Amino acid sequence: MRFRLPLLFAALLPAFATAEPAQVLNVYTHPSFAAEWGPGPAVKQAFEEQCECELNYTVLESGGDILQRLRLEGSSTSADVVLGLDTATMEAARQTGLLAPHTLTLNNLALPVDWQDDTFVPYDWGYFAFVYDTELLPEPPASLEELVNAPDDLKIIIQDPRTSTPGLGLLLWMHAVYGDDAHAKWQQLSGKVLATTQSWSDGYFSLFMNGEAPMILSYSTSPAYHMAVDNTDRYQAARFEEGHYLQVEVAALVNSSKNQALGREFMEFMLSPAFQRHIPLKNVMYPAIDLGDELPEVFDRLIRPSKALFLEPAEVARERRSLVNAWLDAMTR
Amino acid sequence: MAANQSQPLRPAPFSAPAWQLAPGLIIALALIGLVLLGLGALLHTAGTLEFEELWQSRYLRGVVWFTVWQAVLSVILSLLIALPVAMTLARLSHFPGRSLLLRLMELSLVLPTIVAVSGIIGVYGRQGWLTSLLNDWLPDHGWSLYGLNGILLAHVFFNAPLAARILLQALESVPAPRLRVASQLGLSGWWLWRAVRWPALRPVLPGVSALVFTLCFTSFAIIMTLGGGPRATTLEVAIYQALRFEFDFGQAAILATIQLVICGSLWWLVFRNRLESSLLPDRRFAETVSLKDSPGQGLGRVLLLGIFSVFLTLPLLAIALRGLPALWPASPMPSIYGQLLPATGRSLLIAVPAGLGAVVASLFTLAAANKPGNRILAAIPVTTGYLPLIVPPLVLGTGLFLLLRPQLGNSAQGWVLVSLINGLMAIPFVLQVLRGPLNAIDKNTLNQASQLGILGWYRWRWLHWPRLRRPIALGLAYGIALSLGDFGVIALFGSPGQPTLPVLLYQQLGSYRISEAAGTGLWLLLLLVTLFALLSRVARRAPGTNTEPAPAAAPEPRHA
Amino acid sequence: MLELRNLCFQYPDQSEEWRFHFSVAAGHCLAVRGASGTGKSTLLNLVAGFLAPKSGEILWNNQAIHNLPAWERPVTSVFQEHNLFEHLDVFTNIGLGLHPGMKLSCEQKLAIEQGLEQTGLGGFGARLPGELSGGQRQRVALLRAILRRKPVLLLDEPMTGLDPDARAIIRDLLLQEKASGITLILASHDEEDRKILADSNWNL
Repeated sequence: MRFRLPLLFAALLPAFATAEPAQVLNVYTHPSFAAEWGPGPAVKQAFEEQCECELNYTVLESGGDILQRLRLEGSSTSADVVLGLDTATMEAARQTGLLAPHTLTLNNLALPVDWQDDTFVPYDWGYFAFVYDTELLPEPPASLEELVNAPDDLKIIIQDPRTSTPGLGLLLWMHAVYGDDAHAKWQQLSGKVLATTQSWSDGYFSLFMNGEAPMILSYSTSPAYHMAVDNTDRYQAARFEEGHYLQVEVAALVNSSKNQALGREFMEFMLSPAFQRHIPLKNVMYPAIDLGDELPEVFDRLIRPSKALFLEPAEVARERRSLVNAWLDAMTR
Repeated sequence: MAANQSQPLRPAPFSAPAWQLAPGLIIALALIGLVLLGLGALLHTAGTLEFEELWQSRYLRGVVWFTVWQAVLSVILSLLIALPVAMTLARLSHFPGRSLLLRLMELSLVLPTIVAVSGIIGVYGRQGWLTSLLNDWLPDHGWSLYGLNGILLAHVFFNAPLAARILLQALESVPAPRLRVASQLGLSGWWLWRAVRWPALRPVLPGVSALVFTLCFTSFAIIMTLGGGPRATTLEVAIYQALRFEFDFGQAAILATIQLVICGSLWWLVFRNRLESSLLPDRRFAETVSLKDSPGQGLGRVLLLGIFSVFLTLPLLAIALRGLPALWPASPMPSIYGQLLPATGRSLLIAVPAGLGAVVASLFTLAAANKPGNRILAAIPVTTGYLPLIVPPLVLGTGLFLLLRPQLGNSAQGWVLVSLINGLMAIPFVLQVLRGPLNAIDKNTLNQASQLGILGWYRWRWLHWPRLRRPIALGLAYGIALSLGDFGVIALFGSPGQPTLPVLLYQQLGSYRISEAAGTGLWLLLLLVTLFALLSRVARRAPGTNTEPAPAAAPEPRHA
Repeated sequence: MLELRNLCFQYPDQSEEWRFHFSVAAGHCLAVRGASGTGKSTLLNLVAGFLAPKSGEILWNNQAIHNLPAWERPVTSVFQEHNLFEHLDVFTNIGLGLHPGMKLSCEQKLAIEQGLEQTGLGGFGARLPGELSGGQRQRVALLRAILRRKPVLLLDEPMTGLDPDARAIIRDLLLQEKASGITLILASHDEEDRKILADSNWNL
């Protein structure tokens, strides 16, 4: 046996070596944005046409990982822009002091809430919602209250607020609707919870699409993909009377970036139709600006929540641990 | 009898004693350094520690208790199934489909969790095949996959085949003379176990148990998907929560330390006593030795293997059926191959060096562990070899990241790094596969090799390599397969735009491309089957020394 | 001359102590006599370097060899059985005795083939030990020992359990060796073997 490991590595290296053009913008993001059919490639092409630079993605597992990586690298980071944080990770990211103000005027935003933040620029948003299988559940609950009071043989799949963004979203949703009563309502709900998965993917792929339960915690925009691409109306979101909790995905400039101007140009580009038109079907979320006629037709058929529920990120950061602990207590009692 | 008087020989290459100890020790120290660096970095960023508060938390105590409890149950169940299966397979050394069954057994562990769990749910879930059958026959069966049931079922699915595979390897190394004596004496039942099986299993059993325990102890996504709720929480979940979601590095470091202490002391216990080498040389004979059967045993064995095969096959079949529509040429989107093939190439580019590296590092580690001398010193390399299993990848990754950060300039280095960590993560499995066969060599043979001066490289080439070729092929297959199916490490370090297979799978999931994701899952499954089949074949007929007894070659009397 | 001076050995966890003190002239054969368990194998393993003595000395031509590792001692051992590497063929088994990395010259390869012919094993080079009879295996082991050309042969019951023909062949080989100046130490409880081969006896 003659293993020549170093040689192997040496032989592999040139395969990856690329010539670097004059200006490169490094963006840290997560996999669903950078995927081949995600918005990433189209955005890259569109931006490179206008900037005469190269747009580079470094793909990390989740928003949490982007933040983690940024923290580890500190001011020596090679990131110019981070894209893929959300309202749950924003505050922690802000506190690192590694991010720079965007100095843009955010007057063309089309968000259900008023957005004034000098660091984070939203690029898409959506509502958390329970998606149900119309074949298994022809008449879904019409409100959160109805779901909580439903008999225990209605099974639902949720995600764990300790490890997943939608999971935390439901926790905040319950908190926003019920306040101090949330604990008792969670106890009522727990009998219906078939599984509390680590991530949205685990629940959606392994359980929901296998028909294990008729309802799963997801996004109100999820049916858009099934309707537009899969050509099926089978999966729909249940509209809840109390309103739906809002998630906003954001990007920010990195303080230590040597390409501040280019970074700002990208952030501006981010709020233009050239970027935003790829959001609805490729990221399956609402665009952050009004796209007018460019918004795909299926988006008209999505539920329209009566009210957008939203807690300030700073408040979320303060309350999260005690909310999670209360949830744990309710679910394990 | 004319022969040249052998002139004074140059010493065998790499025969200086340091060569046996140093590389393994260096690997061990590097690993310890990494872990300390990772933990240290977390503690450093954490600032204040709330150790006391954490220790007194009811939640944490519950988590530790549950983690240990489910791991112990999983070990017991896995071994209860693995032992009879391994013994039956050792007994029935020729039957159609045996090697297929072995390949299936190698598969379950290396499948990406999300794919395997989806298969398990397709069979045992509320709408699963078996549950539907059960509903028809026994309407009030009360079976539910979600809860401790599901966790144990999945852990047995993942670990019993691994354990059986390693135990089988140990049983197959029983020296033929011992088997012949047992056959002649007509031993069966308890005495066969006592005289033949147990002595072969005893050296590997503690290691196998510790391996399965650690795998179940650090289990994560399975526990959360099938556990039914936050009552089923392992330490690893809490670490993930602290590290990725709450950015509470201090708590993460403390939890990781608790995990390290519990699993680490288990491994230390296992390796504190070095195994004595085998007592009998394994003389090989052309024919298999047949042992006495008690009545009904034949039928029982067929039944056992049949049930076990079904248990393993059904979830894989569910995966196949689910993925087939996306891969079949008639599907509306055959473009899936445009992504699958390049992703496969990238995956192999990372996985093959990782597998080779894991095998080489494991061999060095075992060489150091077998070096006569200080027992404690010798236990260090093997114990640390299992560190990648115990330390959350996130902690290990953080350490490596800090260590290599200034050099992490371009993506090429990123890929080499991913390969390196994947190799590290595979070491515990490769170690387990190689350990038994390497130690099975008898004292007498070693003495003779010493007298003839077969040392260093020569000893490896002529004594170990011919005997280890098949275990090495299996270890290599595990190493490559584990890193083919890996998602965690590559996601941790960030990959350049182009995805590997598991990253592709998660990207498809994240974009609602469920059927394509199922297709990718099946593709990965097929790739893994091919890999294991290929390597087991290559090992069987490699050129060079003749390891297989030529069938019925010399009808000589055997009265040695 | 091979000399053992007050060689003392003790197995761990045993109170009994073994003592050996004798010498053999070059080209002589010393037969070691004693019932099973009296330390014949222990003695041969001490000389070979497989066991480490507690005290005393072993000298070859007035040079101490008891601190040398097994591969540097001027000896070759042949046991009653298990002399061969079971996973390697006959030719390789012998070849490894000539060069521990199988780097053989043409003459050495030729010598092995000739040796196999002369011991009635012509054409057996590619066989595995498991395919040979006990007598054939012993002949292979002895052939390897002889081709190594070490001045001392340590024989631990090399002919026990073999049929009369095989014994005769091996005795002849050993007598030839002795005549060419090789020193033999023979542990055997067979009266006839000792009578034919031994120049002197040592009782344990």
